[in-house]
Amino acid sequence: MTDPIIMDMGIVALAGALATIAGAAEDLESDVGSQSNPNSQVQLAAQMNYPHRIFNKAISGEPVSYGLFCAAGGTMASVLIAKEMSVIFAIAIGAFIAALVLALFSITAHLGRCASQKRFKQPIYMDMVTGHIPVIMGHGFIAVFCIVSFSYIMDHFMGHPFPLPLLALLWGITAGAIGSSTGDVHYGAEREFQQQEFGAGLNAAFSGNIVRKAESGLRNGMDNVWACAKFGGPLTGLALGLTVFLDNWRSTIFSGMDSVPGSINAIITGLIIVLILILANRLVEVKARKAYGPYKEDTGGVAA
Amino acid sequence: MSTAAGGPASGGISPNNIVVLGVVGGLAGIYLTMLNQTLDTTIFSFLGGIGAIFAAVWGADAVRRVCSYGLGTGVPSIGMLALGMGIVAAMFGLALPESDLVTLPNFLGPIISFITASIMGLIIGIMANKILKMNIPIMEKSMVEIAGAGCLVMIGLSVVIVGDFRFDEGIVPGVITTGYIALVFIGGAMAMLHPFNACLGPDERQYRTLTVGVEKTALMMVLVGVASLTEINAVSSALTIVIGLIIFVVYFKKFLEATHHDAYLITGTGLLPTEEELE
Amino acid sequence: MIDPITIVLITLGGVLVGLGVHFIPVGGAPAAMAQATGVGTGTVQLAAGAGLTGLISAGFMYNELATSAGLSSSNMILVMASGAVGSMIMITVTMFIGQLIYVYGVGVPPVSAKVKKDPITGDVQDIYVSKGTEGHGVPTVSFVSGTIGGLLGGLGGSLIYIQLMNIGGDHTNSGIVALAGIFATGVFYVNSVIASYNIGGTIEGFHDPKFKRVPKAIVSCLIASLLCAIIAVPIMGGVS
Repeated sequence: MTDPIIMDMGIVALAGALATIAGAAEDLESDVGSQSNPNSQVQLAAQMNYPHRIFNKAISGEPVSYGLFCAAGGTMASVLIAKEMSVIFAIAIGAFIAALVLALFSITAHLGRCASQKRFKQPIYMDMVTGHIPVIMGHGFIAVFCIVSFSYIMDHFMGHPFPLPLLALLWGITAGAIGSSTGDVHYGAEREFQQQEFGAGLNAAFSGNIVRKAESGLRNGMDNVWACAKFGGPLTGLALGLTVFLDNWRSTIFSGMDSVPGSINAIITGLIIVLILILANRLVEVKARKAYGPYKEDTGGVAA
Repeated sequence: MSTAAGGPASGGISPNNIVVLGVVGGLAGIYLTMLNQTLDTTIFSFLGGIGAIFAAVWGADAVRRVCSYGLGTGVPSIGMLALGMGIVAAMFGLALPESDLVTLPNFLGPIISFITASIMGLIIGIMANKILKMNIPIMEKSMVEIAGAGCLVMIGLSVVIVGDFRFDEGIVPGVITTGYIALVFIGGAMAMLHPFNACLGPDERQYRTLTVGVEKTALMMVLVGVASLTEINAVSSALTIVIGLIIFVVYFKKFLEATHHDAYLITGTGLLPTEEELE
Repeated sequence: MIDPITIVLITLGGVLVGLGVHFIPVGGAPAAMAQATGVGTGTVQLAAGAGLTGLISAGFMYNELATSAGLSSSNMILVMASGAVGSMIMITVTMFIGQLIYVYGVGVPPVSAKVKKDPITGDVQDIYVSKGTEGHGVPTVSFVSGTIGGLLGGLGGSLIYIQLMNIGGDHTNSGIVALAGIFATGVFYVNSVIASYNIGGTIEGFHDPKFKRVPKAIVSCLIASLLCAIIAVPIMGGVS
């Protein structure tokens, strides 16, 4: 007879793992389509006479849009589960429908934005749409499947009172907020402006001058996601995974105690985790300042 | 999230006509579902979706007008503000006839919601201009419109799921307990804020923006139609899904035609325009 | 039926949310390109994400601690603290990972261009700022400010949720739970957006000069939350 806490911790670990995959897929999906904040530079590029072949997916902020796709996925899954379908099939079909919704929103966004830049002579390349949409759908499917899955786990195995669609909505909003804050910086500050020297913020004078010519041929969203998958994507996954894992771990580990002392311990554990993170941030800050030193203008040197 | 240049968006159908279309269409769609109760069926639930489409188009146009002034925070925020107010007001209006506070006939629910949402929008619009000093000329009027439209979209989409807008009999067991309210909330928000955000740019045209509004709300109608499979009988749900799909396909095609008409160049593939072409 | 204390507490929750938004360091679109200090997203998005994570934690804890008689005051503090900690964890993890990307992915030290020295650590700032930018990354003062913002946002959201559940009365009824949850989300968004309008889209934390605009936001959030509270209380009481 195994200690019930082993099952509970296993479930928490599973939820954390699903969240990690979801975070990575969510960020990569937003990098293929250039969603959210870096998209302002893509929009600006056309205005400043730099026409481009980057997918201009302007579906509002990531939290709101991921809230929609996850809520749609969660609702479809709910309906199918109520109709006695197996849980994994239901979540998969729900995620597929959410991916379709994502594709439809992406198509209208790209076509709409490019058509509204007629005076800047930004062409609409239909092969961008046919090429990028399946990639977007694929990443979106993985992200929504994982988010709806761990919401289902929280709902049915951990006993969370919120119904599945509502929980999926809230976690979708959180996943979008995390993806927008972390991985998009790797895309926006690094990959989008790769012709600038490594090691500085974007000089305002270079706004709009995004990379349009790639390693071989013209750059598009697939080249961007290829690079961001090396760093930005996995770190975003780590962020969402840590959030889901730490939040559930600190309450589950004390679930054997009575409610009140257990809750107090969970709160104290959470505060300790926050303190550790503040100290870790300070460590990284000190290391960075020592390693990089004050800003120096680029005085010649080897061109990249 | 980029903002458009300052200045009012104009052209196409006049704002006042859209307001009338939104209010009358939205309320008519919602109230015509009362045929469900008089004929003891659920087949007329789809009319709530039609009402939601009218209200969402109105809301999208209001978002379009106010965001052209450059709010500094982007288009999504105003959509979330509208829906935050919309859901609170919608639930209040629908619940009030059934709470013990005042005795009112049930059918006044949607009207009370609409008026409450408009008042909330007015107060927040006045606060934005007077306290937060945002100084946007049409802020109060736009906030009233956006809140009212948001409220009608929410009620419309909720009624599609259960066919009945009475709070205790229909909305609570069918929409809230099941959690479908989450989809209604965020779907309504996106249907109102996506059109202008997707078509943002100097050559934005009202007709094209509003076709996006119609087809996105029709898409939401299809989704809540699927959700209604657990609440009402399969024939009524199928009717909602089919009508939603037809409206979606028709208006998506209109959007593609408008894009062909408006864009600089649509081509299969090609190189970037050369320096000479950009002159 | 309309209990004044509940209305006051819901209003207080809304004001805490609006106040918390002012502490969270958000640089908007420029920060995503390492042109401004703070996290590279929008104020409403990050604040909503943090507060709603807190709401999820609070919802969980409420059901653990609640009895058929509702929630006692000491347990109420525990649920609020739980929501606050959930929100703080989300925002610190996000800021920390964001920091890693700035330092190792983009190659910039965290620095703010709005102060000469970091108020908490005393580090000099201006010589580390890249040319043509307004700072980048998440320096310690912004990090601590963000943690406080998460705390306030989580507290506010949980307080709203608890009050709505207390009026609803029956924590095993999933209709009441879902209604309180979606209501808290709606009130949360209204207050976040009003606060974000006050800031104008970007803020670095409590050391930013824009922070002096806080009183205006408190007044606006007070009015908006009061409205929502007066409207919400009869509904929760009327749900069977």
